[in-house]
Amino acid sequence: MKHAMKKAAAAALIGAGAMTLAGPTLAEYPEKPVKMIVAFGAGGSTDTMARIFAQYLGEELGQRFVVENRPGAGGEIGWISLANAAPDGYTIGLINAPAIEVYPITRPETIGYSLDDFRPLINVVTDPGVLAVAADSPYQTLDDLVAAAKENPGEITVSHEGVGGDDHLAALTFADEAGIELNFVSFSGNAEATAALLGGHIDAFEGNMSEVAAQVNDGAVRALAVWSDDRMPQIPDVPTGIEQGYDVISAASRGIAVPAGTPDEIYQTLLDASQEVVQNPEFLKELGNLNMPVTPIVGEDFEAFLDNSYESLKKVWEKDPWLEE
Amino acid sequence: MDAVLIGLSNVFALESLIVLLIGTLAGMVIGALPGLSSTMGVALLIPITFSMSPESSLILLGAVYVSSVYGGSITAILLRTPGTDASIATSLDGYPLAEQGRGAEALGMATIASLVGGTISVIVLIAIAPPLARAALMFGPQEYTILAIFGMVTIVGVVSNNPLNGAIAALAGLFLASVGLDNFTGSQRYTFGSSSLFDGLPLLPALIGLFSISQAFVLCVPRSGGILKDDAASAEGRALPAWPDIRRCIRTMLKSSGIGALVGILPGAGTSIAAFISYDEARRSSKTPQTFGTGELEGVAASEAANNSVTGGTLIPTLTLGIPGNAVTAVFVGGLTIHGMVPGPRLFTDFADVTYTLFFSLFAANILFAVIGLLAGRWLVYVTRVPGSVLGPMIVVFSVIGTYALRNNMFDVGLAIAFGFIGFFMERWRYPAAPFVIALILGPILEVNFRRSMQISNWDLTTFFTRPLSLFLIALVIAAVAYPILKRRGATKRNS
Repeated sequence: MKHAMKKAAAAALIGAGAMTLAGPTLAEYPEKPVKMIVAFGAGGSTDTMARIFAQYLGEELGQRFVVENRPGAGGEIGWISLANAAPDGYTIGLINAPAIEVYPITRPETIGYSLDDFRPLINVVTDPGVLAVAADSPYQTLDDLVAAAKENPGEITVSHEGVGGDDHLAALTFADEAGIELNFVSFSGNAEATAALLGGHIDAFEGNMSEVAAQVNDGAVRALAVWSDDRMPQIPDVPTGIEQGYDVISAASRGIAVPAGTPDEIYQTLLDASQEVVQNPEFLKELGNLNMPVTPIVGEDFEAFLDNSYESLKKVWEKDPWLEE
Repeated sequence: MDAVLIGLSNVFALESLIVLLIGTLAGMVIGALPGLSSTMGVALLIPITFSMSPESSLILLGAVYVSSVYGGSITAILLRTPGTDASIATSLDGYPLAEQGRGAEALGMATIASLVGGTISVIVLIAIAPPLARAALMFGPQEYTILAIFGMVTIVGVVSNNPLNGAIAALAGLFLASVGLDNFTGSQRYTFGSSSLFDGLPLLPALIGLFSISQAFVLCVPRSGGILKDDAASAEGRALPAWPDIRRCIRTMLKSSGIGALVGILPGAGTSIAAFISYDEARRSSKTPQTFGTGELEGVAASEAANNSVTGGTLIPTLTLGIPGNAVTAVFVGGLTIHGMVPGPRLFTDFADVTYTLFFSLFAANILFAVIGLLAGRWLVYVTRVPGSVLGPMIVVFSVIGTYALRNNMFDVGLAIAFGFIGFFMERWRYPAAPFVIALILGPILEVNFRRSMQISNWDLTTFFTRPLSLFLIALVIAAVAYPILKRRGATKRNS
């Protein structure tokens, strides 16, 4: 077993070396298993993606990448341990935007990490927001829903997964954009919210595409809009918000980061290997089965992407804080 | 029909049987150890299933799921250290039985009840899954609110011999249930800025502390004897409950299985609600309710039939609608989709053979864990003879490891140890742990569903009384509270 692993490691290193003209550090890294911190529980969508990614990244680099779940506080606990990990390349982690950017804005007095503690590596999945109704709902388009909300302000119930989460912010932005007042109902998870939608207890559901794509394609749920620039191939018949005249863009992103201060050579090794993974057809097929859209944003671009969304979230918050005290 | 036959033959393939045996044994161990939950067991196995065939991976996950719920009963009875919240109600009567040297008999009853509950729920799953799943959707936040109250009524039952201390314990539990980040407003309640408390007081570490660690302290402190009381005749007792005892419990087992399956179908209701309601119902309809809590086989039967019946129930909305009923089945969905099988109606058409393989393997796993349990029960009871000074430290070690494994968080370990002391002194000063825990588990379910109902209805309290299903549940709650009072009154009248 050990022998076979060494062999595999050697083969992978030769392969990687041939591709990237590696320096001496590359020949050494990774010489032991790498820990991958996931800030959410085992079995959730972030965890599932992380475990698949870890498996392929491990194959690229000839070393095991071991997922360690540190759930709690909507991700904060895991991100604190990633922020405080030794920057030696043997601890990397998953980061989820916008959640990771929201907490430093909304609870600065208790937050246990700073965005500067991380060096973003690659964004893997961008899961756009979706506004959906049950199949037997009278609303066929966003306009139908807006008209009904104008008639009965504050009566139309819309679920979301917790105040300040990406679902809540998307629904808020939409209401703001359409000039309507909605009745937001907080759910502990989108599984419960889907059940409430199908049972007719709420009028509309705000969640992420991967969570409802199956039900949309089954016909049990009708998505009124997807909050992305273009239509998504997973649900091709669902129009974007922009198509219908509502300029709303929202998504939950899942990417990889290393602790700030990780040596450049190691960062580059991980970056090269990650880029191979997100082009691997087998990897794409597995995430395709999970309806997770793979949207690679690499290195500095990922950093810029996160900076931009942080600034715009901060502006929204300063203009109109969404939390009551 | 072809799919049914293919499914049946898949289960009896050699590879499947080996996977089934491994899954069942692993599940029993996972369920028995404190802190290792069914969810964690299933989640840890998912990466292993990546490389397996869809049939084998579902057999493995299914076997681990059902047998881990059963496994929790073993330590709940013999050591009073329930592995998860599902088996708390089991220990209420199971442990007194073990103390009296009737551990094997209690284990036997738990095994039979688990088999009955598990089997009935699989039958329900196969026979009427799609219509039931749609009926379950009629449950809105209003109905969940009443259901949580229904579960809380159990408290009245378990505190009947010491109402004041019981009420204090329940209130303390309710208070601790309010700790955490308020999901409706985003404000923090009693978290003292500690992010480890943002999700509320972590339930399993608290339970492990209250039951397992405090039990270890109890075993270590007073005497060096084992769990077995000195006046008990023998540790072995009967290996199986006597037939009249089993026959006496059949009604309770069937009723509890029904409650378990129904509660299981409701997403977010939880295994422990089913066990508490069934236990309370068994006590209520018993001719000798005073024996409950002192070593009543029927109490063990009620709790175990219910919690195992939940397993099939939770799979109903998971498989038919893609809405997981609890954390374990949420992980299940991940395991299904990885193999390209999206939960929903297509599981019963395009993937029917794989789906029926799962159903039959659940049957097989139920039978397998029962056989193993009945064979092993005779030997497992010897643990009650082990001196407390040996057993206690072992329980602490397992509890600490299990607690850390839950979220890899040292805060939880400290919390579990603190709750170990709390539990120890609660027992000394005669504050019952059960109402405390029931309030701690049901408090958040009650709160979020009540507030959700209020959000939906714009703060109109009549919303609970204008919905037929909600009204029906309210009537059940009133009946559950009033029945014992009326019965007692009737009895005193006859006596006077």
